[in-house]
Amino acid sequence: MKNIYFILISLMAIIYVVYEVRKKRFSVKESFWWVIASIIMLILSIFPYSIDRVANFLNIDYSPSLLFVICIIFLLFINFKNSKMISEHQEKIVELAQHIALLEAEVKGMKGKK
Amino acid sequence: MKKDKVLFVIPAYNEEENIGKVLKEIKKDAPFADILVINDCSKDYTEKIVEIEKVPCISEVFNLKYAMAVQTGIKYASQNDYDYVIQFDADGQHIAKEAIRLLDTMKKENCDIVIGSRYLEDTGYPCPFFRRMGTRFFSYIIWITCKQKIADPLSGFQCLNKKVIHRYSKMGNYPEFPDANLVIEMLLLGYEIKEIPVKMKLREVGVSMHGGIIKPIKYMINMFYAIVFIMIQNPRKRRK
Repeated sequence: MKNIYFILISLMAIIYVVYEVRKKRFSVKESFWWVIASIIMLILSIFPYSIDRVANFLNIDYSPSLLFVICIIFLLFINFKNSKMISEHQEKIVELAQHIALLEAEVKGMKGKK
Repeated sequence: MKKDKVLFVIPAYNEEENIGKVLKEIKKDAPFADILVINDCSKDYTEKIVEIEKVPCISEVFNLKYAMAVQTGIKYASQNDYDYVIQFDADGQHIAKEAIRLLDTMKKENCDIVIGSRYLEDTGYPCPFFRRMGTRFFSYIIWITCKQKIADPLSGFQCLNKKVIHRYSKMGNYPEFPDANLVIEMLLLGYEIKEIPVKMKLREVGVSMHGGIIKPIKYMINMFYAIVFIMIQNPRKRRK
């Protein structure tokens, strides 16, 4: 059992993600892809030859390269999602700041009238 | 005895065709209650129509989606010390007279949440096959996890009491779709939930928020995932 270490690592990954969600430091919605990724990691570490079979099916000669491709695609996907979210949040923060400034002006005007 | 303060929370997004009629109906059938419309950054004249009807209206700064709009209303109710909140839809599906029945059930049975259900009795509400399947599936999950039958956990027609208002208003992680997952969480935390059959009207004009093919599938997956986490977060408290 050489792959016991990898099974342990992927189990730790799952437990860590679930633990963070339980402590409410990580939202359920955001954790979705990380849980999926760590489950795939677990499956691959229990059945290491499954990656060879998938590589065979896809006509890839060197099966570890498939692993790297999957990893890179996953990381790019997460990164893109995060970038998208950052720009959405930026927009919302600007809108909120402007709204607060307008409200403050209104409140000051109301105080002045008194 | 002090009179109970009741608030109708109506989240509205692009509902200019329906909202006027809905507000008139509530004013006629439930004159004792206050109404609050949460305008979720509509692009049409929803806000103007609400102003013409002289109903208080909160406008969100940007579109927050249905659930967050409802939570805004619940926070308002909590701040202004309301005893009961009735979640009501702006699209004219819900009937104000049925809302009074929800309220009466709540007072009589002394429970925390009353859900108005379409499927508890055959009320003649036509429903797309897919949605019906989804509802069955989630009510089955609720049955497994909490041993209680809730026929229509996806119903947005609910009545909440003060305890629940307080809890919802303090929830930092109020879910994006507060349906089966919220029902399960509240049941696991020991809140009483009752369900009564209500009549509903068909949607007259406008678009539903659960449309298309990909959205419902995404919704199902997200909901299932959220339920799994709720099961992990809340230790089981099975009742006999």
